[in-house]
Amino acid sequence: MSTAALSAAAGTRAGSSEIRAGERSAHHRNNRIGWAFVAPFVIVFVMFLIWPLIHGFYLSFTGESITGANGQLIGFANYAEALQDPIMWRSLLNTLWFTVLSTIPLVVVSLALALLVHQGLPGQWLWRLSFFMPFLLASTVAAQIWIWMYNPQLGLVNYLLGAVGVDPVAWLQDPSWAMYAVVVMTTWWTVGFNFLLYLTALQNIPEQQYEASALDGAGRWRQLRSITVPQLGPTTVLIVMLQVLASLKVFDQIYVMTNGGPAGVTRPVVMYIFETGFTGYRFGYASAIAYIFFALIVIISVGQVRLTSRRSA
Amino acid sequence: MTAVATEPTTKPTVHHPRGRFAERAGLRIGERFASPGRIGALVALVVLAVLWLLPFLWALVTSFKTETDAAATPVSFFPKSGFTTDAYSNVLSQGNIPLWTWNSLLTATAITIITLVVSALAAYGFSRLEFTGRRWLFWGMIASIIIPPQVLIVPLFYEMLTLNLVDTYWAVILPQVVAPAMVFILKKFFDQIPVELEDAARIDGAGRLRVFWSIVLPLSRPILAAVSIIVFIAAWNNFLWPFIATSDSSLMTLPVGLQTVKSAYGLQYAQVMASAVLAAIPLVVVFLFFQRQIIKGFATTGFGGQ
Amino acid sequence: MALHHLAPPSAADPPGPGLTRRQMLIGSLAAVGGVAAIGSLAGCTPANASADGVRQLAFWHLLSGGDGINMAGLVDDVNALDHGYEATQTVLAWGAPYYTKLAMASVGGRSPDTAIMHASRVAGYAPGGLLDPWDLDLLAENGVQESDFLERVWAKGGLDGKQYSIALDSHPFIMMYNLDVAEQAGVLGPDGQLAPIDSPDQFLEVARAMQAVTGKHGLSYGYLGDGAQMWRLFYTLYKQHDAEFDLSGETAVVDDDAAVSSLEFIQQLLDGTVCTPSGDYGTAVSEFMSGESGMFFTGVWELPTAKNSGLNVDAQPIPTLFGTPAAYADSHAFTLPHQSSPDEEQRRATYRFVADVLKNSLAWAEAGHIPAFQPVVQSPEYQALLPQAHYAPAAEILNYDPEAWFTGSGSDFQNYFLETVQGVYLDGSDPAEGFDAFIRRVNVQLSKPNPV
Repeated sequence: MSTAALSAAAGTRAGSSEIRAGERSAHHRNNRIGWAFVAPFVIVFVMFLIWPLIHGFYLSFTGESITGANGQLIGFANYAEALQDPIMWRSLLNTLWFTVLSTIPLVVVSLALALLVHQGLPGQWLWRLSFFMPFLLASTVAAQIWIWMYNPQLGLVNYLLGAVGVDPVAWLQDPSWAMYAVVVMTTWWTVGFNFLLYLTALQNIPEQQYEASALDGAGRWRQLRSITVPQLGPTTVLIVMLQVLASLKVFDQIYVMTNGGPAGVTRPVVMYIFETGFTGYRFGYASAIAYIFFALIVIISVGQVRLTSRRSA
Repeated sequence: MTAVATEPTTKPTVHHPRGRFAERAGLRIGERFASPGRIGALVALVVLAVLWLLPFLWALVTSFKTETDAAATPVSFFPKSGFTTDAYSNVLSQGNIPLWTWNSLLTATAITIITLVVSALAAYGFSRLEFTGRRWLFWGMIASIIIPPQVLIVPLFYEMLTLNLVDTYWAVILPQVVAPAMVFILKKFFDQIPVELEDAARIDGAGRLRVFWSIVLPLSRPILAAVSIIVFIAAWNNFLWPFIATSDSSLMTLPVGLQTVKSAYGLQYAQVMASAVLAAIPLVVVFLFFQRQIIKGFATTGFGGQ
Repeated sequence: MALHHLAPPSAADPPGPGLTRRQMLIGSLAAVGGVAAIGSLAGCTPANASADGVRQLAFWHLLSGGDGINMAGLVDDVNALDHGYEATQTVLAWGAPYYTKLAMASVGGRSPDTAIMHASRVAGYAPGGLLDPWDLDLLAENGVQESDFLERVWAKGGLDGKQYSIALDSHPFIMMYNLDVAEQAGVLGPDGQLAPIDSPDQFLEVARAMQAVTGKHGLSYGYLGDGAQMWRLFYTLYKQHDAEFDLSGETAVVDDDAAVSSLEFIQQLLDGTVCTPSGDYGTAVSEFMSGESGMFFTGVWELPTAKNSGLNVDAQPIPTLFGTPAAYADSHAFTLPHQSSPDEEQRRATYRFVADVLKNSLAWAEAGHIPAFQPVVQSPEYQALLPQAHYAPAAEILNYDPEAWFTGSGSDFQNYFLETVQGVYLDGSDPAEGFDAFIRRVNVQLSKPNPV
């Protein structure tokens, strides 16, 4: 429907009398209207976010299974078990390790790509396309492509490395390489998002600053250090925060590429929640692990916010 | 949260002496077009772009090989028996890819529309209307941004069991329409629309909903487009929740189906790559068409994107 | 976070009708999708019966490769019988993903009409109500009864006096070999089959002789990232020691010496000459099929692939290297995943379908499996099938997985084996340590309450 038609429709109702009511009824009316606007959101928000959050917490104190068996309250037994479960600890550590390993290249590489593209060389659309396109792939598609890239005998990675004399490596099957292989794939896949944020930030640095410093005789390198990097500070803070949160939730590509293996060295905690709950049928225990993970996320997020606010204070 | 950037998109068009060509080529004052630095940057860019495109290329090449050539050593870009579209015709004839693409389109569209309606209404409520509990609700919503949906998979599945929705489209759609970050983004935008624009209509007797629909929404087209793009792409590519919500292969979305349902004919590399290429095509094509909008959308809505 | 870029228009800007072409495209796309969405969302009542009374049956299985091709053919065959059903097969990824999805579909209540499970998994499924029991009278009406099966195979599908699964086959882990390579290596017996092998050293000798012929490897065996493949060979060798593997108590009762001896032998095989230590399943298949090795440890299900390869292939049970003949095996079995409101006509059609598949399972034998339905096995057509007849003795030395709620094909159990023991296979880690880690993991699982 066109805007003009709607405005016209609104116009015909002009002049319909609006009775001035007393203060209190106006307040009631405002309340009603306000809540009416937020009501649809509140309904889905409560039904599909708040309620599961509460119910999951309850489940974590029961022995509930996927079939509905053992649904009685069992106190802190699930938490006690989780704290002694080496696989849970291992998966938490894997998640943290993946977060560290992936955040660094995803910030550094995206910055480098953005700085290079921002040079304004010809073919802007091609550069953007190249670096951002992988981000548009579904996780399973990107992972399938990389399983094929990493194939020990038939994959391109070993082929190219072989050309420079490196022996074939079973990237996804060898415990000492699997996590790095996943990190490389993840960098390829998602760097485009951070790259875009950086690129936008770069484009918003006022040109005058460069011009002024150029008149002062500053070279490109000095401009990079004295103007570009400081101006990108807030963006970097944002990107690091977003990246840490995103990396902590890792599941998809690992599920497809290694299924947590070999020997559990890539299994992230989200996968352990999934396996415990759906493959192992233990809803209660899975919920307890989910809550331990949630607590970790809250701690990390609060820590990050405090760190950045202290710095900017 | 910090600002990604604070400048408006369109830079002031001041005309510099270096002229339009220099401007387009990104030259600074006094810089030669082919300085060593720029050539170095170009070489680096070309190498990196090739690295980034190589997996696509490799997938594409494999998908046009025969299965025998795909599994042949040594690895080659030019197969012995030439290129063929067999893998594609096999995948399309026996597979569910058209059906899954349809399911993805259906659910992602539904998610986008519902999210947009629900979030925009709420954002307007938070931006313009006074009601009891507003602040409390708003901050609760902001705090909820931190909740990773991954943590909720078990209770959400349980809820879907209770509602008897497991293995329906609704099970895929409903949990994905809750987007507090999008409400926040829209509210911020609505906050910046001058109230005077609405006041005139209000004096004319238009109700809140009408003002919202005929004045606020039309002014918000860019942000609505940005939010739609983000929500749509996220929904199209989402894996974990749709994977949990559907077991019936005729209801699966593309990313889920590709991973879950296998070919009866075993691991066939060319076909796996052909499926991957087919699954990648829709969004890549959309991206080629709407590159500017999509990039702008992601840049604008920043933290909503992941 | 501040908003940028999409700065809202100032009050001076009229809300112009500036719809660009692309925005219109997006808009119409959304509109089309939206209308379609409402249409299909509303109309999703399942219509199983078509106008002519043919029931649409959803049939799930996890068979791919040679098996998948044969099952597809078998389903087409029985559909063509015109017995009032039209079964459509859905193939899910083998192993944990399949069983996870099957359980989720069953608790959701909209599960497929019938699904193939490994007999070794039924014990872990049935008690929690994930499966509906078979109605034996209705089966008998369709010409299928207990007496048509070997006792052990039938019994594997029973629990608490109810029958939860009807076996289609039994499928042992066997050894295929390339007759041409064997002949050149001089390891054939007078009967034209591989000369008997009865010790680990002898096996290694034969393998090395074959390696000398192929120039690449003597044996193909792929296991990387594949707990099932690792377990199949290990358990075959372990059981050849006549060793016990009992999970019925609170901790596992196992024979460490037999385990170490089996693992050490596997390490000897994976020395890079006899067999590559870095082969996954697919690599091993293609290696053997392209004649780059002489022997192949695999399931019977790869027989069609071998036949199609044009190689001169024979097969036999894995040689008894440690004294006691034993073969790891499992059975594919039909189950009825739980449905919240099964339709009686739909169930009847399902029974007809399953009975038809069993009666036509000669085609399944061509896929390499040993049919469970005895009338088929006893038919002269089956007896004439080669090389099936050469490994048929494996049916007498079957060993299913040790029983527990977390064991069976594609279970967590095999995953634990992968995680704890792959290092032993891959880079020569200490076998005793690896096996010990496995048993510790199993014991953790045994200490937990059975969730189903």
